[in-house]
Amino acid sequence: MTSPLLEVSNLHVEFDTYGGTVKAVRGVDFHVDAGKTLAIVGESGCGKSVTVQAMMGLIPMPPGRITQGSARLRGQEILGRSTVDGREVRGAQIGMIFQDPMSSLNPTMSIGDQIAEPLLVHRGYSAAQARARAVELLEMVRIPEAARRAKQYPFEFSGGMLQRAMIAMAISCKPTLLIADEPTTALDVTIQAQILDLLRDLQNETGMALILITHDLGVVARMADEVAVMYAGRIVESGSVEDVFYRSSHPYTVGLKAAMPSNDPQQQHELRPIEGSPPDLFSPPVGCAYAARCPHSMGICQQRPAQLFPVGDAHYARCWLQHPESPHRPAELSLGGHHE
Amino acid sequence: MWQYTLKRIFQGIITIWFIATATFVAMHSVPGDPLSSERATTPAIRANLEERYGLNKPILEQYALYIGSFLKGDFGISFTQRNRQVNDIIREHFPVSATLGILAVTFAALGGVLFGALTALYRNRLPDTIIMFLVILGISVPSFVFAALGQLLLVNINNLLGFSLLPVAGWGTVAHMLIPALVLGMSTMAYVTRLMRSSMLEIIHSDYIRTAKAKGLPAGRIFTRHELRNAILPVVTVLGPAIATITTGGFVVELVFAIPGLGRFFVQAVQQLDYTVIMGTTVFYGAFLVTMVILVDLLYGWIDPRVRVQ
Amino acid sequence: MNEPLIPALTPEDFTPVHQREDVHGLSRPSRSYWQDAWWRLRRNRRALASLWIVVGLLAFALIGPLLWRVDPARQDIDQISQAPGADRSAVIVAPYQPWSGQPTAAAPVQEGVLRLGDVPTSQAVRLVWDALPGASGYRVYRNDYPIDAGMAFGLPIIDVMASGGGHYEDRLNLRPGTYYYSLVVLNEFGEITDRYETRQVEVPRVITEDEVRQRGLVPEEQALALGDTVYLAFHPLGTDYLGRDVLARLMSGARVSLFIGIVAPFLYVLLGVIYGSTAGFIGGRLDQLMMRFADFVVALPFLLFMILFQVVFGLGPGQSGIIPMMVALVLLQWPATARLVRGQILQIRQEAYISASRLLGAKTWYLVLRHMIPNTLGVVLVTLTFAVPNAIFTEAFLSFIGMGVAPPTASWGSMSNEGLATMLTHPHELMFPALFISLTVLAFNLLGDGLRDALDVRMRSVE
Repeated sequence: MTSPLLEVSNLHVEFDTYGGTVKAVRGVDFHVDAGKTLAIVGESGCGKSVTVQAMMGLIPMPPGRITQGSARLRGQEILGRSTVDGREVRGAQIGMIFQDPMSSLNPTMSIGDQIAEPLLVHRGYSAAQARARAVELLEMVRIPEAARRAKQYPFEFSGGMLQRAMIAMAISCKPTLLIADEPTTALDVTIQAQILDLLRDLQNETGMALILITHDLGVVARMADEVAVMYAGRIVESGSVEDVFYRSSHPYTVGLKAAMPSNDPQQQHELRPIEGSPPDLFSPPVGCAYAARCPHSMGICQQRPAQLFPVGDAHYARCWLQHPESPHRPAELSLGGHHE
Repeated sequence: MWQYTLKRIFQGIITIWFIATATFVAMHSVPGDPLSSERATTPAIRANLEERYGLNKPILEQYALYIGSFLKGDFGISFTQRNRQVNDIIREHFPVSATLGILAVTFAALGGVLFGALTALYRNRLPDTIIMFLVILGISVPSFVFAALGQLLLVNINNLLGFSLLPVAGWGTVAHMLIPALVLGMSTMAYVTRLMRSSMLEIIHSDYIRTAKAKGLPAGRIFTRHELRNAILPVVTVLGPAIATITTGGFVVELVFAIPGLGRFFVQAVQQLDYTVIMGTTVFYGAFLVTMVILVDLLYGWIDPRVRVQ
Repeated sequence: MNEPLIPALTPEDFTPVHQREDVHGLSRPSRSYWQDAWWRLRRNRRALASLWIVVGLLAFALIGPLLWRVDPARQDIDQISQAPGADRSAVIVAPYQPWSGQPTAAAPVQEGVLRLGDVPTSQAVRLVWDALPGASGYRVYRNDYPIDAGMAFGLPIIDVMASGGGHYEDRLNLRPGTYYYSLVVLNEFGEITDRYETRQVEVPRVITEDEVRQRGLVPEEQALALGDTVYLAFHPLGTDYLGRDVLARLMSGARVSLFIGIVAPFLYVLLGVIYGSTAGFIGGRLDQLMMRFADFVVALPFLLFMILFQVVFGLGPGQSGIIPMMVALVLLQWPATARLVRGQILQIRQEAYISASRLLGAKTWYLVLRHMIPNTLGVVLVTLTFAVPNAIFTEAFLSFIGMGVAPPTASWGSMSNEGLATMLTHPHELMFPALFISLTVLAFNLLGDGLRDALDVRMRSVE
């Protein structure tokens, strides 16, 4: 087995606020293989964006703080440093796009100049070369009249166009990994599909890996190879997209699926929200963070945090129900090999 | 952009007309008589003077004459200084005030932007605390106190050194201008610093700065290309009013430092009820300020593509 | 992801637990808008301190004169431009007696050409000098500062065109302190030469018994003898150039400055609110017209028109200039508030909760009372707080250039104006009123910042 492109282990991130210290990420592990797509799913505030931003050094410090953990790109630590192997990590080896393209681009700089910037800085292009390349990149992300568009400013672009421009900017230096932090959340549904198609096509063309942060299971099903489900600063279930979707092993994953509408008429069901709200991360619960909302909550759940139990091949779930001695076998939950 | 420029210029002309009219109305409702001074000793002299200044005509005709002569750029003859054209007075003293004002605005804008950016970058650390303390002082201390303190300090420094480092009062050389301009620009600098700081803080935390960081740009480039340019925009919008504050605030500094500027002349004219000089300088100042505000607006349009393109 | 160790658990650990009921509960109590604002303001230490300073200033203006009962207009001619904490002692001497010109027995023994002919006092300084060879005459100068090379000798007090020795008695406006008398030799044309001699003279304060009685400095029954020390009237913050008590003047000046500073903004903010809300409510053409007019008023050069209006509303002799200044302020300053309130009203009118309220059958007056007013009140309050320092500055500025509050009425601005003249020798006359202006402006600015942060979420600063 080859070593993964990116391996994150035991990442902890905290924020100091007036109300106290928020433990936003509490020990996250995942890895991405070259050319593959990892989706990180979870509801708002579960720490998925913080995880990747911490990795990229985008968390304002203070108030933010990475207390533990490592992130290795091809075996090299990237946490707390900006270059690996003499090359800039951010913008060159890892590209990143954000949720709101409207506010994520500098309003007073032309689109072309913004796309050209990483090329000037990381690749030593001349101004003219960079400008020409920016136009090519705009064409690559299927923006018509790219040469004219490059001279325009963000306020002259629509949301979908801006996200394309963001993508062009992120892939300008041919990164081996692209991080897309909720890339379609702020866009219309029709545009969402176009952006996702574009991302996949670019991935096929360039062979880059993709980390897709989303709360939309539909996007996950469409795009991902691997899935990590996050809840309250921890990954509660991870595995291949088939495992997580069809052999869900954590009650939270089951709850998420039940809350998601399906456009497959055969699978239509009544939408069931997950009752309650996520725990207060100022003082996370001692036991499982999901226990208060979990329909199968047990005594142990409130006393000790669950560990990751292997459920199948490269499929893990952080749930006490997966304990070999657990007497409960909820029907909707896929249980690990211990029960077989 | 052209349409915008033309529209602004048209608005400016209307505004200047309004200022001229308001000045005319104000001056003609002053109780008492402009000729009640000792010069109009006999009815004959009085009639002569009234004839000369057009005071015997009906008020509307006076108004028409007044606007007409303004259009020709003629502000008339001084009441108290015989045979002296108001135009000459303005021509002689305004450059002094303008030089002082421009220097002060430059100090205020450059200093404000610099200090504002510094405080934002060193937020809640020592440089920020020190500068923000000075800013609060700058906003709370009246300009005449700065002027007085500046002069006092200069006197003491000169005494201490045993020679005149910078002149304490008067006008003529660059050395004369430095301290008065600094004093004059002080409160505006404080204001600009505050504005720049909050604008900068907002931008430092904006999404597009996060994008710039994710692009791996060096901190210096992020500062100059992304943060500074956007943070300066709100500062540019207040420059117009700031020029107004500074030029009229110049009266005090001109008084304290004995600078022969138009402001000092205006105060003197008001005390002597020199009608033509008062009206002339008021309208001239008004026109100057309106022009400055329009220029700043156009400058803003040039800097901000959102305005420029539309 | 290593294979984790699986802990051994007991069957009890697997007992199902019932759902907790408090999952939906809110952990914090809810507060009303004003409660919340007050809570936030109280947590802002700077704003709270400023609030106390404002209260203190008001007390200083309103209660101060009741406690410090000194007439601000009374002149203490014994103590002119007296710094706070200066020596107030005076020695009782006999009433003034003319001098013959001969050195008296009490005169100090001194070397040099220019000597004292008697003990110097604030009553008189008596000088004698010997003849200098080649001198056609002498000029005597007096200075407050030591004579440095190239520096002026100060005030020329007498020319004596006689070559022999001479004497002179200086009684001109003497104050206790140090004087430098210079004797400069004049040539035959009465022009000064470069030969001179300077003598430093310490002048102590003296007072006659009659003066002590007249000023009531000691109880009537107390006996006084020559050489006794008495203390002059107490002025905690010193006196000004006319010998008026600075503290008393600051208090009466506070009344004027704070009156203008608080009442004028209140009036023009009120006018602005009425104008702006009318325009905002009516809308359409009239709104456009009203706002265009406001734009014009904004464009008037503010300070120039303040000065013009001072003239227009008649700043005759004996008038204090307070009312003209207020009228001028109100006439020129309302548009900012009007614009703000209009914008606010237009914005609130479009809010979804107004439509919702209307759908629920709310009448217009209910909307105004329940939604419009509470939602604009915060902004107006903040504007008002920031308007106060502005008005105080304007008053000070106008009084400073002599176009505001007229003497003898005291205001902080007019006191600063008077203090400017004596700034180099007696800085306290400028610094005290300046300090009060600065303190007031500072307090209102910080209070305004605090209120803005506490009341108006949309205007909240990024801090």
